[in-house]
Amino acid sequence: MTITQNRDNTALTIALEGRLDTLTAPELETLLSGALEGVETLTLDFEKLDYISSAGLRVLLSTQKKMNGQGSMKVTHVNEIIGEIFDVTGFSDILTIE
Amino acid sequence: MQRNQPDKKRKLRNSIALNIIGAIVALLILFGSIITTIGYFSFTESFKKEYAVTTYHMANTATALVNGDHLDEYLAGEETEEYLRTERYLDAYCKKMNVSLVYVIAVDTSDYGRFVSIFNLLDNTVGDTSYTKWELGHQRETTNDEYRQKYRAMYEQTAPYETVYRRKVSDGQRPHITTMVPVRDSAGKTAGVLCIQRPMRELTDARRPYLLRIAAGAVLMCIVVGVGAAINIRTQFIRPIRKVSDEATRFAKENVKGEPLGQISKLYEIANLARSIDTMETDMANYVENLTAATAERERMGTELSLASAIQAASIPNVFPAFPDRKDFDIYASMTPAKEVGGDFYNFFLIDDDHLMIVIGDVSGKGVPGALFMMVTNILISDRAHLGGSPGEILTTVNQSICEHNQAEMFVTIWLGILELSTGRIVAANAGHDDAAICRKGGSFELFKTRHGFVLGGMEGIRYREFEIRLEPGDKLFLYTDGVPEATDASCGMFGMERTIEALNRFKEQTPQEILAGVHESVDAFVGEAPQFDDLTMLCLHYPGPQKQTNARELTLDAVTDNIGKVTAFVDETLEALDCPMKKQMQIDMAIDELFANIASYAYAPETGKATVRVETEEDPRAVIVTFIDRGRPYDPLSAEEPDVTLSAEERKIGGLGIFIVRKTMDDMRYEYRDGQNILRIKKLI
Repeated sequence: MTITQNRDNTALTIALEGRLDTLTAPELETLLSGALEGVETLTLDFEKLDYISSAGLRVLLSTQKKMNGQGSMKVTHVNEIIGEIFDVTGFSDILTIE
Repeated sequence: MQRNQPDKKRKLRNSIALNIIGAIVALLILFGSIITTIGYFSFTESFKKEYAVTTYHMANTATALVNGDHLDEYLAGEETEEYLRTERYLDAYCKKMNVSLVYVIAVDTSDYGRFVSIFNLLDNTVGDTSYTKWELGHQRETTNDEYRQKYRAMYEQTAPYETVYRRKVSDGQRPHITTMVPVRDSAGKTAGVLCIQRPMRELTDARRPYLLRIAAGAVLMCIVVGVGAAINIRTQFIRPIRKVSDEATRFAKENVKGEPLGQISKLYEIANLARSIDTMETDMANYVENLTAATAERERMGTELSLASAIQAASIPNVFPAFPDRKDFDIYASMTPAKEVGGDFYNFFLIDDDHLMIVIGDVSGKGVPGALFMMVTNILISDRAHLGGSPGEILTTVNQSICEHNQAEMFVTIWLGILELSTGRIVAANAGHDDAAICRKGGSFELFKTRHGFVLGGMEGIRYREFEIRLEPGDKLFLYTDGVPEATDASCGMFGMERTIEALNRFKEQTPQEILAGVHESVDAFVGEAPQFDDLTMLCLHYPGPQKQTNARELTLDAVTDNIGKVTAFVDETLEALDCPMKKQMQIDMAIDELFANIASYAYAPETGKATVRVETEEDPRAVIVTFIDRGRPYDPLSAEEPDVTLSAEERKIGGLGIFIVRKTMDDMRYEYRDGQNILRIKKLI
């Protein structure tokens, strides 16, 4: 998985490419734990993300909880597979998906 | 200590020596007393008699001093010169003869109740008496009836003399003897009675030393005999008996033969006893020695037999499942020898990939000879079978080999078949063995009767004919030795073929192993407590037939998360070959990620282990099946509670989502725990 981040003052955009799964989720988690300082608007760009596993969902959930306290978070360009997963797991109701 | 004293006393009281010596001494005392008593009386009697006779003679002599014709004159009161002279003589006589009293009396013959004294001379010094002299004419009453009768006897002259013994006397007197004789006148008639009294002291004086001697003799005899008996009993009786008893006690304790007792007593019985003890010890020691040797020998034999038993068991296939990789047949066999080793055997092996040789045999003998013969036969058949050839050829050659070296004239019955696994065709030959039983798929076990050839090893030059059995997939073949139908219960009833088939059909749907266990149990239940007298051997083959060519691919690797990529790549190969739509492939990859991650994290934690992933495809409808197999702790992921997906981000819990996603995205998901394995199978239609 490739992670690209783009910081613009209080706005952070993270673009993920590949698969967010058991092996790669810890990578994202580590990155986010150090990058969210002062971030008020977090955008996760899933345009090039193939799929997401429960380990990825875990990271999304904990990040969402964190951002609830300091600003907002949105997920963009969600593909069909991931959208279905968000739907069946109820993450569609939790996340802001554009 | 306090208890010792009475014990000692009791010991003394119960000692043979003391008892015997005591009895002897008591007898001797009794004997001595009797002797003494008899001696006392006989001495007294003879002394008295002798004393009386002597006194009589003295008295008779004294009468010569008295003139019987003049007694009346004396009484008339005239102390004549003759009277005085006679008195003087008598006095001198009295003194000289050492008698207490000499007197002459005239008794009143009317009733002898009175008498009158004529002469009366006394010497008080003799008997220590205090008599006073009776004067002439002194009258007295007769003392008692005895005197009266004896006076009468004197006057009537019915006895030459009479004697009166006065042992108990009244005052002033001493025990004495009075002897009386008649004083006759010239006409011979009794004119008076002359009495002499002598003290009895002489009797007691003479008797005392006599009695003392007898008593002393008796006592001496008691001592001598007692001591002699004691010594004799001690040396001849007690000491040998003690020796025998000590030796017997020692032998009982040590069980080791000691010095022989030898000739320890002259007494026949004791010598005999000692000899018996010696003989017993020798015999016993020999016996123990023999027994020890025999026991050691038996133990050695036992060890060798159990070794032999292990060797025999190892000489035939005894690890099951014997062919775990083969799905086209399943075989199970068991051999239960009646003794440590048996004459039955079975064997099976793959001659090549497509040919399974099956053989079962029963040697005409049990135990070691049967086992040796069985080993030889089994090896000959195996060797020959590996060289190739049909069952008939194999049996024909092996028969020839056995006959050449069959010293013991034993023989063996054999059922030998070669199964062509791809077709289910069995070519078999039967050398006098029981018919096989076959259970067709969906049917029941039935005997499959064929021609029997002659037993193996029975005769040279036999050619064995072959027959054919066609197995269809799902059929079962059951082979056995006669130990099954001929198993015998306590009342000599046989299990029989009918019960065998019945037992087989009770378990016909089970695996070969379960079928054999079931038949064995039925046989055991029938036999009950009766001893097993024949070897019991069974073999069962299940023939599922050739398996359809599967497209299953398997990958076994360490269950760690780092290997998830390898697993997905492995599965993707199959998926790409099928032109699987990308979305479905993604979903399957996701499922692999979730499930393999689960196994990697939990199945063996904190250890690690292997996991196998199998991927296979199905047609109509086309589907991909991925199976995850691990040997970790049993865990059914389907039993996990579904997460509540309606909760807000703050309320949501992490966990359980992965399985949930897999269930939602896959078309089927099954779990089972079998043979120590977690088997999780997912299916996705594509």
